[in-house]
Amino acid sequence: MNDGGRRKQLLQLAAGAAFLAIAVVLVLIVVNASESDGGDTEIEGAGAVNRALSGIPQSEMVLGDPQAPIELAEFADLKCPYCKAFAEGVLPAIIENQVKNGQAKLSYRLYTIIDDQSQPAGAAALAAGKQGRGWNFVEIFYKNQGNELKPYADDAFLEAIAKAAGVKDLGRWNRERAELEPEVEATTAEARELGFTGTPSFAIKGPKTNGLQPMGTVGGTGELEAAIAGAS
Amino acid sequence: MSYPSEGNLQRAIAFVAALGIGVATYIAIAESGGGSPVCLAGSTGCKTVAESSYSHVAGVNIAVFGIVGYALLLACAFFASDLARFGGFLVALGGFGYSVFLTYIEIFKIEAICQWCVASAILMTILFLLCATRLVAHAGNEDEPLPDRA
Repeated sequence: MNDGGRRKQLLQLAAGAAFLAIAVVLVLIVVNASESDGGDTEIEGAGAVNRALSGIPQSEMVLGDPQAPIELAEFADLKCPYCKAFAEGVLPAIIENQVKNGQAKLSYRLYTIIDDQSQPAGAAALAAGKQGRGWNFVEIFYKNQGNELKPYADDAFLEAIAKAAGVKDLGRWNRERAELEPEVEATTAEARELGFTGTPSFAIKGPKTNGLQPMGTVGGTGELEAAIAGAS
Repeated sequence: MSYPSEGNLQRAIAFVAALGIGVATYIAIAESGGGSPVCLAGSTGCKTVAESSYSHVAGVNIAVFGIVGYALLLACAFFASDLARFGGFLVALGGFGYSVFLTYIEIFKIEAICQWCVASAILMTILFLLCATRLVAHAGNEDEPLPDRA
């Protein structure tokens, strides 16, 4: 083949390769984009939760300014209906009045008491926390909480919650949630050491407390506000 | 249209590919053992990207694939043949396409920017432009040795 023919053939091959590369990149992008489209499990309330938490700093499972002088620690089980009731009826006022202004920060610690799904669900929340979406995961889980006696919190449910919570890197979340179960065991042991027997239980740490002081179960927003004021 | 001489293009490709090997090697070494490259100005983007599931393909750090790609491009720069021109173009095209995909992932999936990955993507883009220019300008030319600078 002469040089002109060889040149023409090479340029045609190059053009074909370029079109193929464009197609492959587009397919990769479309496939990755579609991976964040929900799933078979229908998740409710995600938009409202994500909007409500938008703009509040999150670091792992701590909600609020990391420099806030008061730390209010909640020990909870994602499958516990009382924890859901607290998350929806009591904590929003604390978040609005004490967390958003930097007076206090809320830390969510797992205390698993319901069933065998509580621990992997808790680890899934911690893994979401590694990507700054821990509280989104917890609150969306509560919005979609099922009957505590039923094994609804399977892998598909947890993944759907993670997607709805805005966990971007599901591969990393999947890998890390398996590694974080010992951390759930550790906070469950911590709750027992603090003398807690039910969820949600609270503990508080501030300038006027001697380390983390157990409060146990509390009656409502007023009791938590008084504890924050007392620890300040 | 006048194009740069093939010798100048080969030297430019060799220089940029050598820089790319340096960047990819730094990323690979920094990430070995679970670490991450150091981002400038205290950014945590490098750590976030290094911890992401996209930093490895089949268990191999993608920086290693980068080193191999840059090394192939460097090798292609030393030969003035159609095989080197076309091979270099294909490697640069693959590297450029993958860089586009990874940049999309950083912005829209991981939501973090690793400055070293951006540096590598820029180098790969330059290499793609240089290799494409070399192929368009010099494909079909008789094989020639790399001309002397003088």
